[in-house]
Amino acid sequence: MEDLARYLCELAKRRGASFADTRVLHRRSESVLVQDGRADKLAAYTDRGVGIRVLVGRCWGFASADSLERSRGEKCVDDAISLARASQDFVSDPAMIAEVAPTVAEDLRSPEVAAGEMPVKEKISRLLEYERLGRALGGDAVVNSIVSYSEGTREEVLANTAGTLVRTAGARAVVTCLFVASDGKILQRGTEHRGILGGPELLRQVNPEAFSVVAARKALALLKARPAPAGRFTVIFHPSITGLLVHEALGHNAEADAVWAGQSILEGRLGDSLAPETVSIYDDSTVPGAFGSYAYDSEGTPGRRRPIIEKGRLVGFLHSLETAAKFKAQPTGSGRAESYDCRPIVRMSNTFMERGTVPLEEMLRGVERGIYLLDGHWGYVFVQKGQFICHAGQARMIERGQLGDALRDVSISSMTLDTLKNIDAVGSDFEMKMPGMCGKEGQSAPTDCGGPHVRVGDVVVGGHAEE
Amino acid sequence: MSDFNYLDLCADCVRKAVGLGAEWCDVSAGTGRDISVSVEKSGIKTADAGQGDDVAIRVFVKGGMGYASVSGRDPGDIDEAVRRAVALANEASADPDFKSLPPPQPAPEVDGLFDDRIAGMGVEDVVRITVANLEAGKALEPEANLSGHVGLSVGRGALASSAGVALESRGTDIAADIEALVKRGGDTGYFYEFDFGRQLADCRLDDVAAGAVLGARRFLGARRIKSGRMALVLGPLASYGFLGGVVAAANAESIQRGRSYLCGKVDEIIASPVLTVIDNGLVPRGVRSGAHDGEGTRRRPLTVIDRGRLVSLLHNSYTAGKACTESTGHGTHSGGISPTNLRPALGARTASEILREVTEGIYLESGELRADPASGDISASIDFGFLIRNGELVHPVESAMIGGNIFDLLERLDAVSSDAREEPGVLMPTLRIQDVQIAGAE
Repeated sequence: MEDLARYLCELAKRRGASFADTRVLHRRSESVLVQDGRADKLAAYTDRGVGIRVLVGRCWGFASADSLERSRGEKCVDDAISLARASQDFVSDPAMIAEVAPTVAEDLRSPEVAAGEMPVKEKISRLLEYERLGRALGGDAVVNSIVSYSEGTREEVLANTAGTLVRTAGARAVVTCLFVASDGKILQRGTEHRGILGGPELLRQVNPEAFSVVAARKALALLKARPAPAGRFTVIFHPSITGLLVHEALGHNAEADAVWAGQSILEGRLGDSLAPETVSIYDDSTVPGAFGSYAYDSEGTPGRRRPIIEKGRLVGFLHSLETAAKFKAQPTGSGRAESYDCRPIVRMSNTFMERGTVPLEEMLRGVERGIYLLDGHWGYVFVQKGQFICHAGQARMIERGQLGDALRDVSISSMTLDTLKNIDAVGSDFEMKMPGMCGKEGQSAPTDCGGPHVRVGDVVVGGHAEE
Repeated sequence: MSDFNYLDLCADCVRKAVGLGAEWCDVSAGTGRDISVSVEKSGIKTADAGQGDDVAIRVFVKGGMGYASVSGRDPGDIDEAVRRAVALANEASADPDFKSLPPPQPAPEVDGLFDDRIAGMGVEDVVRITVANLEAGKALEPEANLSGHVGLSVGRGALASSAGVALESRGTDIAADIEALVKRGGDTGYFYEFDFGRQLADCRLDDVAAGAVLGARRFLGARRIKSGRMALVLGPLASYGFLGGVVAAANAESIQRGRSYLCGKVDEIIASPVLTVIDNGLVPRGVRSGAHDGEGTRRRPLTVIDRGRLVSLLHNSYTAGKACTESTGHGTHSGGISPTNLRPALGARTASEILREVTEGIYLESGELRADPASGDISASIDFGFLIRNGELVHPVESAMIGGNIFDLLERLDAVSSDAREEPGVLMPTLRIQDVQIAGAE
């Protein structure tokens, strides 16, 4: 793989590229889905190929092929150069690349339990046990249950014309569960998910009492929850919702490609105070074992801790080699590509708010009437408008400082800069348990996010009843 | 594109899988190439191309399913994938609900799914379309910040099964999607536009950026609104997402498993009588059209909602076997169920007439209005919406949300427009829903 990667870079240079990088990748994955007491669907996936990015004149060209044959790689080089040449007269913002010292390194990590070491039968058996214990809690009220597990390994060689040669190997594993409960009138869902940098050892680490039983309990509890009210409220975010806030609302806006393209509300705001001094937010791909961690990004830059907001002030963006050149900044190791057939783009890794000093009980005491949002499910953002949406699987009313009725199906919508300004308490706790796949420009990247509880004033909650 | 025989490859894999113990097996294989030009800061940023083959093997043993897919055409990799699929099927639990894979079925040809003009296009053609868009967008608004993509794909493939299915297909797609950002002082207007088709003649690809710029201008001056109950008018893009969610919930597996808000609703009234929705995968030149589904079942038009009544579910071969009925031709090769082209029945009055009758409400131009798949509850952001007052769009809104339950919204649906945005295969009318809870930030 190394020889091919280096050869294609040299070929690209000879054929006119001022810069080129080649990624040769081989991925394998396997998944097991258990549903309603049966091992329902078992699957395996393999892909390998090569992707070549060239900088010719003012424009990028990129081509990929699902083969490691030298002739296919050579055709990719020719195609990429032709693509760039055909486009370069219509570039408004010339492409560039940071000149950094080449990285020659390898980071080869094996999971504690290699993919083949745990037989499929054992995986099925563990998933069935998760499911059985969740169902045992709910009895006949549970009408459908799904527990799924997937593991994947990735071997990659990256070479570029500046002399970088990085070889990486690693694995990730994810287990998720879904329980659907019914009281004869309505259905409700409870979910949990866990993910690690590693392999099947995940199934030995995850305790059903803290996983599938929790998910089943959520579904049952939601049957008794009432629809949320609608209107503006003071809200307290559980760490999972704080994670969605820092990832969706802030993190995507701090991706330097969006900032450079004039698509982010953080354009021109570096150094500005955007939040109270109690708020510090980081993206960090060096958190040991965290789902979004990695040693080197897809351009060969080492991963690192990246301050975004420190003491309320916007201090940095996430950079690839290209955005670092354009901003005259240091690359932060944030150029990630999903596979060989994707270009590296600026991505987050593990994004979190640092813990503060306020205990949850004290936060609650300060709320006359509000909503406690927990069980972060999903979110999305329009970076151009600075508007974000987060969905909470569960919520509780807060009345006179006390937790009240359980609420269901609650989403919030707000403007990023307003929300950051309106944070008035940062919790003394911390949790980062939101492993997932973040989507951008058609690519998925493994990420995690979290933080402490935070309290925010004046957030719009989309419920059924007018307030 | 090479003249490699993918049908022979599929048939060979089926034979090998059966030889290894597969009781049922189907194999899909194909090749595709694509070209994409990306736009950033109103200029071209990069041009990308890819080419690849895929082979996917699905095997059943005692009803248990094993599945393996591999990229490329390496014979060793493919043989390994066949062995893996058989091994996984042997590990899966027996499933008495699995009856059989679909038998060979004659199906009508669907015209217009492959366009030689698109197949013959190169990067220069895609660049030309991109540049035409940029020029048109900038002519309207020189300072507009345009981003997006223009791209095409060309593919062909085959499907063979142990039940005797042997099918070949080919297709082309071309698409442009452009986002526009317009700034006036501290105000920002943002919107997007797109066009796509299986045939070049069905598209007006050069006009997409101009449409995005005009849309972005309309979203300047967004303001907060008060909470309240009011009418909700769904424009064509919003109605497509809304109805697409309802039809997706009519997935027979979700209902057989008891996890859909449509459980127990078959043959029941779920919406107002103004709503009829047909799923038709046979529309010539349709973006989601094809003579067969991913399992080889012939497609056919299917009325899902008839004057407010849920009359049909979307089946694949597994759910149809379990329900002792026929597959509706909505199966995917990996075992899922997917809608095709949605074509709601149109009403009697135009979108303008429907809008004019609204005293106070929200016009949702575009945005997610999807219900929780189990509870049917909706808590959705008004991403691209306007306040309506006395039949007119007054201003765009920000930080506002829609709350409710899908059945309440479907029941309060009182108008489907007689005019509709039409994209290849798909009809997108305007819908009006009365008395919807809106949460505002004013």
